[in-house]
Amino acid sequence: MALNVLICDDSLLARNQLKKSLPADFDATIVTASNGLEALTVLQTQDIGLVFLDLTMPELDGVGVLEAIKAQALDCLVIVVSADIQPQMQQRVMELGALAFIQKPASADKLAAVLHKYGLI
Amino acid sequence: MTALHFTEEQRDCLQELVNVAMGQASDKLARYLATMVHLQVPAIKLVDTQQLPQHFAQRYQQQSVSLISMGFFGDQGLRGEAIMLYQLANVDVLARLLEYSDDDSSEAEMLTDISSVLTTTFLNGLAEQLDNSFSYAAPRILSSRDQHFADKLAATAQQWQLALQVDIRYQLTDYSFHCDMILLIPGEAVLRLRQMLDQILASF
Amino acid sequence: MQLDWLLQPLLSQLNSGVLVLDAELRLVFINQFIARRADVQPEDVQGKSLFDVFTDVPQAWLQRKLQGVLALQVPAFSSWEQRQYIFKLPHLRPLSSDSQYMAQNCSMLPLTAPDGVSRYICLLIEDATDAYVYQQQLQQSVARLQLANRTDGLTGVLNRSYWQQQLSYEIQRAERYQHPLSLLMFDLDKFKQLNDRYGHLGGDAVLVALCARVTTLLRDTDLLGRYGGEEFGVILPETDLTGAMQVAQRICTAVAGQPMHYEQQTIRASVSLGVAAFTAGQSTDALIQQADEALYTAKRQGRNQAVAWRAVNNEYLKKVK
Repeated sequence: MALNVLICDDSLLARNQLKKSLPADFDATIVTASNGLEALTVLQTQDIGLVFLDLTMPELDGVGVLEAIKAQALDCLVIVVSADIQPQMQQRVMELGALAFIQKPASADKLAAVLHKYGLI
Repeated sequence: MTALHFTEEQRDCLQELVNVAMGQASDKLARYLATMVHLQVPAIKLVDTQQLPQHFAQRYQQQSVSLISMGFFGDQGLRGEAIMLYQLANVDVLARLLEYSDDDSSEAEMLTDISSVLTTTFLNGLAEQLDNSFSYAAPRILSSRDQHFADKLAATAQQWQLALQVDIRYQLTDYSFHCDMILLIPGEAVLRLRQMLDQILASF
Repeated sequence: MQLDWLLQPLLSQLNSGVLVLDAELRLVFINQFIARRADVQPEDVQGKSLFDVFTDVPQAWLQRKLQGVLALQVPAFSSWEQRQYIFKLPHLRPLSSDSQYMAQNCSMLPLTAPDGVSRYICLLIEDATDAYVYQQQLQQSVARLQLANRTDGLTGVLNRSYWQQQLSYEIQRAERYQHPLSLLMFDLDKFKQLNDRYGHLGGDAVLVALCARVTTLLRDTDLLGRYGGEEFGVILPETDLTGAMQVAQRICTAVAGQPMHYEQQTIRASVSLGVAAFTAGQSTDALIQQADEALYTAKRQGRNQAVAWRAVNNEYLKKVK
């Protein structure tokens, strides 16, 4: 059964880049959001299994989304895909419940490795 | 000026490249300064160089602003001039973090040091994503503590066709630092940059 | 085409200094430009710490810059305009520069070895002595012009416009910090008669000698200026009326006590002086006016004396007018 996946990034290029870089054998139905608020709306109205989440975004940033997911106890896995690679930031998102951190730009190799590691493919 | 126009896709692509470059630069800075840098979405704007002086004169009304320039040269005709604008109060914040003491460095040296760190960390990150690399000319102070910086900016800007205006805000844990970076790019480099963006867009 | 053979002759003939350091800031390479000027053999210094070989570089400053290059992997720069030189190296223009060391522009560039791990720093040293010399010359010319612009051609004391400008600054300062400030105006007595008797050159010589003598009686912070033909003013910062009167008396005595000499002739001269102290809110013109009024009183009372301005003088003058 296909996994419902949300890609949340304010950049169209980054969303497309991620979509194209997902492994061919990754069976997913993809929806997108271009900021944190849109992402929360999707999460609250649809059954999303996995989120690829950018951090630096307008309206509501990725940390805000993670906090809301935690507060509202939304049932989904989150993989952070961000250019903000400071160790403190990586630690912070992991503490907020993120499954993994991928440095932008997200390459096919990095994505495949993470998805394999957590048994998502 | 239509030849220098960017499509929305090209602009979005460049914005994302800037984003990633900023992330890399901030990471380096944070490690170097042993502090956390809070990243904000960098506002990028492609503007006609003619409008630049007026824009910044308005933004920094009645304040003294320092203007530092640094030339950069890459492969395939990608080149330009990066201009940093800041208020001295903001420079003092970074100077304290970089542990400058008053006696062993002049203000001029502090300004050029900080500018070269901010500019080259960012531009190296941008170049890498474009499969390019930049070499740099030593930074020059165009004006310091100067209320007439807009005139100097105008004189510099008129040699170039396009300006990529990047509004940089580094929110440090204990300090807030803000400055403006302007990348001034000649016409042929703009065309070259658009081709590079198109190649990236075509691959996704 | 293999170009490796080019590297060695190029580096040794390059008219810039090249030093390569490893991540521990030990010398890996120096080119001939550096070796000859520093009088060291490249093979002797290889592997030694930069700071052991070049003991007089500004170590703390350079170390911080180099650590920045290594940590951030971005270049750093140093310009002769901010720091004239990093390495004490001789230059080839020994006569035209007032500095014995080569003015330098330095680029510090991060390098990574082909193994992708080992970090190095390349220091490129450019000789900027020419630019330095031109700038020194320019600064000297500007300084000479500025001096000419503010001094009186004959006596060498400040000219009227610059002296008056300084008086406004001193008044602002006295006002702001509520410090005392006094003004002294003096005039050579019977100058017209001196001129008639000894000629204009004789009169001029007296003015020059007068200024020289008065200057020796003043502090460095006092400002002597030529106000008119034979009238002069002295700004006395941090001085109240009593102190200013003491200075005035000294000048009066010194001028009258010792004759001046012009072409084997002995000239006896004297001065009349008026003194006024600045009071809060007073304008430059009003202060000059008061000192002038006191000077006028000194003349009226028989010359060769100093008079402090008092409100009654003022009243008296108004009456006679």
